[in-house]
Amino acid sequence: MLNNKEYLNKIFQSNKPLIIYKTIGGYDVYTDFKEKITLNSKNFKNFLNKKTLQSKSPIKELNCYVGFFGFQLLCENIKIKIPKQQSLNFYPGLVYKPQTIIKIRKNIVIKSLLKNFRQLQTSKYENKYFYQKKFNLNLDESKYSNLFKHFSKKIKLGETYQIKICQTYSNKSNIDAVNFFWKLMSINESPESFLIRDKDYSIISCSPETLIEKKKDVIITKPIAGTLNRTKKMTKKFANNFFKKNEKESKEHNMIVDMERNDLSRICNTGTVKINKLKTVEQYRDLYHYVTEIKGKLKKHITNHDIISAMMPGGSVIGCPKINTIKLLNGREKLNRNIYTGSFGYINANGDMRFNIIIRSILNYKKRAEISAASGVVIDSKPKREYKENYIKAKSLLDLFKT
Amino acid sequence: MIYVIDHEDSFTYNLVHLLEGFAPTYVSNYYDINWRQLEKSEIIIFSPGPGNPSNYLETQKVYKNYKGKKKIIGICLGFQQILYAENAKIVPQKKIYHGYQSKVKALKVSSLFKPNKVFLTGRYHSLKLKEPFNSSSLKISMRCVESNVAMAIEDTINNVYGFQFHPDSFLTVDGKFLIQKVLQF
Repeated sequence: MLNNKEYLNKIFQSNKPLIIYKTIGGYDVYTDFKEKITLNSKNFKNFLNKKTLQSKSPIKELNCYVGFFGFQLLCENIKIKIPKQQSLNFYPGLVYKPQTIIKIRKNIVIKSLLKNFRQLQTSKYENKYFYQKKFNLNLDESKYSNLFKHFSKKIKLGETYQIKICQTYSNKSNIDAVNFFWKLMSINESPESFLIRDKDYSIISCSPETLIEKKKDVIITKPIAGTLNRTKKMTKKFANNFFKKNEKESKEHNMIVDMERNDLSRICNTGTVKINKLKTVEQYRDLYHYVTEIKGKLKKHITNHDIISAMMPGGSVIGCPKINTIKLLNGREKLNRNIYTGSFGYINANGDMRFNIIIRSILNYKKRAEISAASGVVIDSKPKREYKENYIKAKSLLDLFKT
Repeated sequence: MIYVIDHEDSFTYNLVHLLEGFAPTYVSNYYDINWRQLEKSEIIIFSPGPGNPSNYLETQKVYKNYKGKKKIIGICLGFQQILYAENAKIVPQKKIYHGYQSKVKALKVSSLFKPNKVFLTGRYHSLKLKEPFNSSSLKISMRCVESNVAMAIEDTINNVYGFQFHPDSFLTVDGKFLIQKVLQF
């Protein structure tokens, strides 16, 4: 009989569908999926409000659906239509119902609804992994600059106050997702990291951004706005000073704080929306982020769907004000964002949930790997700097393909 | 009852929470104005929002319909909408204030605030009132200390008020006081 660690390694090396989600002090691995639901704008509301509540099981950690909502699905959910774009026809959203959870902490703990969960059925699967080092970029610097100028005009006219231009790197690859994920975690373990590996696609992400953390009637969001490229000699104190003194980063952040306060205010009791921690610095391998934590107490009779419609897609990765800015972006983005700026997380049967914003991610589908990054255009932005910021954000993922 | 016309802004509900501290508040999307509810409300608020006042003809209609009959308060875009309805020109400004904290000073003509009282306020506006602007009843009652741009209006005859800055922003220090003053005047 395999011990827990050996069993876990065997799962990793198999082609068994699984999900890994970073949690405080370790990782949760979900597997043995009993159910898998493809979400679309027709079944989304019903899934959120009814389906999730029915998932009773004797193991409380398994009383949940885990999965992702793509950007397009989240836009359609708030009645914003996306015009025809170049698309991979990837799933609009997928959620899974796990029957086994493996908790990776100091020890490895396995809880399963299946009696014989250890008898792993591994079909002899020939993994044909390959990957390229080089990537194509959908917007080169001159195209990026043109788009930048276009949006700068819109800011001057007041049609948007901040807008995030997204760039996508892609190449031909079929990656060993689990291997890539742990490599990524060894260099950039972010609080909202996750992996999904299924038969026909995989996603890995080192997202730093928590969009929804809901426990009972308390909801927290932690928007990030402000990025500083981290050099070897730099200290956190330096970063803190940089953000404090930098008017542009500071204003960009202020805007996002007010926007997230607004989104919470739509679903929270009057007077309960409070800033918990204003403008703290978080440190990552290649960069520093400027983060604020906002908290509110949910109104009675607010549904999961109400919460998700108020909060998603997460404003900090789109710009402000949300609706008009998405419309401006949609008019110009030729490539479907797929998972990028969508959300990954779980909903428990008791209504508790945790969702991130999918950024710093690799989507591998149809032998194509894609990485997207976006940075904000505000009135004082410079196209060269923002173009570079996108590269910095994508860098730790692009680097995975180099070794 | 307060009626808020939401011009699809990402700050409207901060304002709604502020207002709800004083009176029950009904919110509708700009594209979905409930005229019957509007008729029943005592105060009408024009929310902030993207773009130019000329983009929102329904709000112009509401203003013309209720000016002098109900209290009307405009915030940011809403402030500009009131001015636009009073034949003012709303124009782009050289320096743009998005996410700025600025000092704003009450002027002598203000009936609501002590003259020379300075407030720290959050601002999100690309456009501004083109001056000189003349009106028999509408007075500019606050200005930006630094740039002198018009920051508040008062028309005590018709009961029309407006702030170019955001009393709802976390950057505004006395937001609650500012809103209370204008609601209760």
